[in-house]
Amino acid sequence: MIPIRTDPPGPAEAGAVPRRRVSDFEQWGIVTHHQLGHYLRTNRFYGLLGFVVLISALSLAFEVDAGIAAVRVEQLYRSSEYLSNFLASTGLWIILAAAFFGGDALSVDFSTGAGYYMLVLPIRRPVLLAGRYTAATLVTLAVVGVYYLFGAVGGIYFFGAPSIPWGLLLASLGLAALFALAALGVAFCVSAVIRSPAAGVLITVLVLYVGFTTLQAVVELAGIEPWFSLTYAGGAMAAVLDTDFVHVQAIPLGEDQYYTIWAATVSEGLAIMAAYVAVFLPLSAYLYQRKESTG
Amino acid sequence: MGSFEVSSLSKSFRPGAPVLSDLSFRYEGAGAVGYLGPNGAGKTTTLKLLVGLLRPSTGHAFLNGIDPMVDRKSALWDVGALIETPEPYPTLNVHEALDTVGRARGLSPDDVDREVDRCHELLDLPPLGQRIGWLSKGQRQRVALASTLMGDPSVLLLDEPTSGLDPAERVVVRRLLNRLKRDHLLLMSSHQMLEVTEVCDQVIFLHQGRILLKDRVDRLAGRIRSRQVDVEFEHPVAPDAMEALRPIATEVTPLSERRWRISFDGADATRVHLLELCQGVGPVLQFAHTSLVLEEAYLELIPQNADDA
Repeated sequence: MIPIRTDPPGPAEAGAVPRRRVSDFEQWGIVTHHQLGHYLRTNRFYGLLGFVVLISALSLAFEVDAGIAAVRVEQLYRSSEYLSNFLASTGLWIILAAAFFGGDALSVDFSTGAGYYMLVLPIRRPVLLAGRYTAATLVTLAVVGVYYLFGAVGGIYFFGAPSIPWGLLLASLGLAALFALAALGVAFCVSAVIRSPAAGVLITVLVLYVGFTTLQAVVELAGIEPWFSLTYAGGAMAAVLDTDFVHVQAIPLGEDQYYTIWAATVSEGLAIMAAYVAVFLPLSAYLYQRKESTG
Repeated sequence: MGSFEVSSLSKSFRPGAPVLSDLSFRYEGAGAVGYLGPNGAGKTTTLKLLVGLLRPSTGHAFLNGIDPMVDRKSALWDVGALIETPEPYPTLNVHEALDTVGRARGLSPDDVDREVDRCHELLDLPPLGQRIGWLSKGQRQRVALASTLMGDPSVLLLDEPTSGLDPAERVVVRRLLNRLKRDHLLLMSSHQMLEVTEVCDQVIFLHQGRILLKDRVDRLAGRIRSRQVDVEFEHPVAPDAMEALRPIATEVTPLSERRWRISFDGADATRVHLLELCQGVGPVLQFAHTSLVLEEAYLELIPQNADDA
């Protein structure tokens, strides 16, 4: 008698796999880990990090070449002054990092096949956004941290470790972290609206750097404090170290004519940055949640 | 057992130009449903609506009874979806890409490894340490398919699952789908009629966003009068020898030296007579019409210029 096989041969049986419900918090960690693994292998991360290292190293090299005495004179014999000046470009690095890591963080789901991989998983979109936002913040802080490291090394070299205001330096780094959160909030928002990843990166730089800086200059000419500008708020990162900080400066232009310049106080900077996070992050989440994969 | 359902589902991207109109169907349990239609019929749109990648204009979609627009996480919990061309980040390696999916679906790290090994065996995945960006299109498609299987979800939504695969890979995937459909529910869109015939128990024909026909494949064979058969002879047959079929064959097409496709009027009596004539030509190894039923149904149901529309 010919045996009748009811179970035809084939590949290994798909067995029941034990699964447990994963909380949003756990999934946030999973997405952060996934996104961080991606960012840390991208050319843009190493490119930006290399650029920061190059510029910082060159600045330091020129100062070393000028000599300790010359730098001390120039910085009014104060390490805080030195750090405040050295770290004045922090805002630019953060804006670049925010554009590189946030400018296409969400649009990638709607312009490439990445969305068909991630958006079909049982993960809420706000959780996906939170994980990517966290990963983008961490890599941005890694870049900024390297810049601060160069600043600290310079400060120690020219003024000695005991004279470094470590508390203020830490406060400045804290402000930089908040600035990064705010800039990334804007970048994520751009990314939730713009479909093209490249355009998202470019528009983020244009909005955060060119747009705000230009607008700031224009309103200052009109005698208005640019309290709405994130780049204005970013001045607080250096201001916290500046012992001669002046909030408002009137520069005489001619007879009875002045050009007023404002510098954000630390509390003002904190409030503006926090407001940006509070507005743009939920807005990004809302737009991302509403976005459809029409491509 | 899983289920998927669409209820009075419509979708328009522009006012007055519906891509899907009032679509309704529901399947549950185990088996495979083929989702067929020409390009632009709305197959992928339906799958996107099912997983919440698109919002319905009207109506609802449900996965295991849950509307993904209401509770996306619960709706997709027991669902694997392969839609369009999924692309994990090119910087990640195969294991990392699958690890994220497995952990997001609630697998422990040990079970993730076991599942990756299972998928590796089922789909002959590329080396697990290889970066996604370095893989060929076919390898990437297999990784994407593996991601839908991670955690063994009960419902699988597959949009052209063998797209980009070579013939050998297609056979592996078809065999896998045939295994999976015994205890999973599959919805599979495809242009490959042979594939759908081999895998699916039921079919839905879609045209211009509307369902033209829903039926079991075996019942369809009865409804559609097959007008073609494929005959395989034991030995090569010369075209002259096929002249013997002339009284009843309307057309004969050589598929290979030994295989011929014969068109006729479709009547059962004619088919019996045709077999007798073929046996007169030479020993017959195969005389089959099943693989052609869907193709014929497709051509009968869908207007011929639909692909150009």
